Amino acid sequence: MELNVENVRVYHKKSLGIAGASLSANEGEIIGFIGADGAGKSSLIHAIAGVIPFEGDVTFNGLTYHSPKEAEPLKPSIGLMPQGIGLVLYDLLTVDEHLRFFANIHNIKQDVTFKAYKLRLLKMAGLDAFQDRQAGKLSGGMMQKLSLICTLLHRPKLLLLDEPTTGVDPLSRIELWEILDEIRKSEGTISIISTAYMQEAAKMDKILLFDEQEIIAQGTSSELLDSVRAMSYVEGIKTQEPCIRTLHATYCLSPLEAEHTEPSLEALFFVNALQKGKKMPLIEITNKEKTVELPDVVMEAKGLTKVFGSFTANENVDMTLHKGEILGLLGANGAGKTTFIKMLLGLYPIDGGELTLLGKSIQTQEDRQALKASIGYVSQHFALYNDMSVEENLLYFASMRGIAMDVAKSRISRYALELGFDEYLNAMPHELPLGINQRFSLASALLHEPVILFLDEPTSGVDAIARAKFWELLKALKERWEISILITTHYMSEAEFCDRVVLLRQGKKIADHTIAEFYAEHPKAQSFEEIFLEYYR
Amino acid sequence: MKIFWAVVGKELLSFIRSWQLVFVVLYAFSFEVYIAGSGIELKPRNIAVGYIDASGGGLSQKFLSYFHAPEFLEPILFESQEKLSQAVFDKEIMVGLVFDDTFEQNFRKNHATTLHVLLDATAASQAFTALSYLQNIAINFTARTFPVELVTHKLFNENADNHTFMALTELLSIVTLLSVILTAVVFVKEKEEGTWDIMLLMPVNAKIIILAKSFSQVIIVMVGIVISVGFVIFGVFDTPINGSFFAFLLLSFLYAFTGAGIGLFIAAIAKDVMQVAQLSIVIMLPLIFLSGAWTPIYAMHPWLQTFSLISPLRYYIEGTESIFFRGTPFLELYPYFLGVTLVGSVVYAIGFRKIGRLF
Repeated sequence: MELNVENVRVYHKKSLGIAGASLSANEGEIIGFIGADGAGKSSLIHAIAGVIPFEGDVTFNGLTYHSPKEAEPLKPSIGLMPQGIGLVLYDLLTVDEHLRFFANIHNIKQDVTFKAYKLRLLKMAGLDAFQDRQAGKLSGGMMQKLSLICTLLHRPKLLLLDEPTTGVDPLSRIELWEILDEIRKSEGTISIISTAYMQEAAKMDKILLFDEQEIIAQGTSSELLDSVRAMSYVEGIKTQEPCIRTLHATYCLSPLEAEHTEPSLEALFFVNALQKGKKMPLIEITNKEKTVELPDVVMEAKGLTKVFGSFTANENVDMTLHKGEILGLLGANGAGKTTFIKMLLGLYPIDGGELTLLGKSIQTQEDRQALKASIGYVSQHFALYNDMSVEENLLYFASMRGIAMDVAKSRISRYALELGFDEYLNAMPHELPLGINQRFSLASALLHEPVILFLDEPTSGVDAIARAKFWELLKALKERWEISILITTHYMSEAEFCDRVVLLRQGKKIADHTIAEFYAEHPKAQSFEEIFLEYYR
Repeated sequence: MKIFWAVVGKELLSFIRSWQLVFVVLYAFSFEVYIAGSGIELKPRNIAVGYIDASGGGLSQKFLSYFHAPEFLEPILFESQEKLSQAVFDKEIMVGLVFDDTFEQNFRKNHATTLHVLLDATAASQAFTALSYLQNIAINFTARTFPVELVTHKLFNENADNHTFMALTELLSIVTLLSVILTAVVFVKEKEEGTWDIMLLMPVNAKIIILAKSFSQVIIVMVGIVISVGFVIFGVFDTPINGSFFAFLLLSFLYAFTGAGIGLFIAAIAKDVMQVAQLSIVIMLPLIFLSGAWTPIYAMHPWLQTFSLISPLRYYIEGTESIFFRGTPFLELYPYFLGVTLVGSVVYAIGFRKIGRLF
C-alpha cells in the first residue's frame, strides 16, 4: 500500500493550481501540507483524491490515474474531507443519522462488525453521548470530529483532509489528532493533512512546504527546523541587513552578531519570504487625528447572561477592559466567545447583568446609538460587500458613518499604505488572499477612529506571515492610539501577545489573569497551549 | 439624506455589477413578456378531426367542408366507431364526429337531427373552443329555420387580440414577482454575507437604510417597466394606449412599493436566498390567483371574490387595463389608486416594522 505522486500539475481554468508536485508516502504515514492561503495545498489534495482532472501521475495501490474517471475503482479506499467546518454535514440530520447515511452511500453492510466499528469511532470522537443531536446544533469542534468519522466510516486506506483543524479549538484539535493516530496504527491508513497550526505539523512524519503553487521544501520536522536555525535570532534586533521582525523573533539571511533562538516551523515562511526578496509592509501607525479623554475602564460587564431557549450561552460573566489593553478571550468552540462579543456590541439583547461602556450604563438602544461611533468591530468572516472593490467598500462604510468624503479619502489612502493593501484598492474582496481581506476589514473598523475594538477570530485561516504582521499592527495601535482591544483566537501562541487573557468554558468564565500570572500559576508549562489545556482537562 | 443616497447608490452599483441578476431582470421584462404575449394561443389551431359516416354522404360532406385550415386539419375517415374511439384514445385525433345512418334522414324529415361528437377534453380550452366552432357550424344549418343574425361590436380591443392583453398581464405579474424578490434578496444577502451585523453597528437610523434599500429596488423595477413597455408592449405588440402613460407609471411606482413591502416581510423571516425563493412563491401565488390575472374575478367563488379585495395586484391589473384599453381619464382612476395605496401602505408598513425589529 503505497502512494506515489509524480509531477502533478493542476489548472483552474487559466490559473495554475499547483505546478509539478511530487511526493511519496508509505502505509501508516501522515504527511503534512503547510503553506499560505492559495499556495496550492487544496489543489494537490483534490488531485490526489481523484476528484479533479490533472496532469502527471498519481499511483496508489498499484493503480495509476490521471483523471476522476480513472480513479473511480479506487474511490472505495479514498476518503476526502474538504475545507470548511461542517461542509459535508447536513444541519438537520442527527449524528447517528449521518453515520447511517454515509454507510448507505458507501454501500456498507450494516452488520455486527460495522456496528462495533461505528461505536468505536463515536467513542474516539467523544460523540457517543450525542448520537441524537442534530449536526446544526453541534459546536465547530464536534462538527469536525463528526465529519472525520463520517469520512473514516468506509475504512479508507488513503485519507485526505483539507485543513480539518482551522477554526477549531486546541482541545478538539488534540482529539482529532488522537483519532487519526489511532486509525493509522490500527488500519495502516496513509493520511495527507493540510494545516495552519505548526504544532500539529511538527507531529507529522513528513512535512511539505507550499509557496506560490510549488512545493519548496520537504522533510521531517527536525530536518526543516535545522535548515532555518541559522537564520533565527531573538526578537528586537536592530540591523541594516534585510530582515523580518516579528513579536517572537528576528529572521535574517546574513549572519548577525546576535543570540539565536530556537525556531518553530513558522520560521520557514519568514525565511522563504526573505529568500524570495519579498518586502514586508512597514507597520507604522500615525497618531489619531483627534484624541479624546477616556475613562480608565472602557468596558465593564457584570454578570452578563445570554440564554437561547433552554441553552445558556453565557452565564454570569464578569469582565473589564482597561484603556490601552489587549484582552484575549479564549475558549473551546461553543464556549460562548462570539455570543459574548455580540452582546457587548448590542447585536444580541442582554438577558441578564449590567454593561457599562465608556463610563455609560447601557440600558436602551439610544444609549448604544451614541456609542456606535466609538466602537470598531471585525467579525469572524471579514464581512465585506463582495460586489464592490476594496476602496468602494471603505468609502461606503465611511459615508454610512457620516465621515466627510475628503477626510475619508485621506484616511483610506493612509491606512492602505500603513496596513499594506494599497496595491489592492481596486480589487474585489473575493479575489484577495485572506490576509489582505483581514487587514482591510481592520481598516474599515478603524475608519472612524474608535477607542474600543472588538475582533472575533481575525486570524483564523490567515497565513503565518500575515498573522505576525497583524499582531504587530495591533500592538502599534495600542501604543499609538491607546485603543482597547478585545480579541478571540484559536492560536494559543497569539494569546501570549495579549496583556490579559480570559478563559471561557461552557459559557462561564473560568480564569482571568495576565500572561505572567498564568505562567506563575503553572510553572511547569512550556507554552500557553499547555496552560490552556490544564483548564480544560 | 446623504446617507439615503449613499445606500441607494451602493445598491444600484451592486445590482449592475452582478451581471447574472441584470440578465435575469432584463430577460423577465423583455422575452418573458414577449413569450407570454405571443406564445399563449387560445384559438384552435391544427386540430385533428376524424369521422365515420353512415348517413350516405350528402349533408355530412357539406358539414365537413367547414373544417379547414388553419383551425382544422383535413378530416380523416374511419371505418368503424371502434377505430374512431381508438384514435381519440391514442391522441391521433382530438375531435371525432359520428354521422349515423339516421343523421340525414332525420334532418330532412324533422328538421332536427343529432350529431355525436367525441371530444378529447384533456386539452380543455382547445377542446371547448373547438366545440364552440362546431356549434357555430351547426347554427349555420339551423339558421335557415331560425333567421336571427348576430352582429357583434367588439369594444376596447377591436381586433379581439389577446396578445396585448396576455403580454400586459404578464408584465404586471413580473413587476409583482421582481419587486418582491429583488427587495427581499438585497436584505437577505447581507444576512448571508455577514454584513448585516456591520450595518447594525453603523451610527445610522435604521429606517433610512430600510427605506433607501427598498427604494433602490423600486428604481430597478421602474426602469424594467419602462423598457418592457417601450420595447415589447408598444414596440412588438403595438398595443394602443388610450389613457395617460404617466398615470400608469405612477400606479406602477406605488405598486412596486407594495411589492417591496412584501419583500421586506419575507426578508425578515428568511435566512438565505433559497428561503426567499420558497417564501416568495408561497406568498405570491395566492396574490396572483386572487388578482384576476388568471381567472376573471366575477368567475370566482363569492368568498374568493371578497378575498380578492386584499390582493394589491387586482387594483393594479384593473387600473392598468383601464388606462391602456378603456382610456379612463386620470381622475376617474381613483378607485385603483386608492386600492393600491391603501393595501400597499398597509403591506409596506407591516414589512417595514417586521424588518425594523431586526435592527
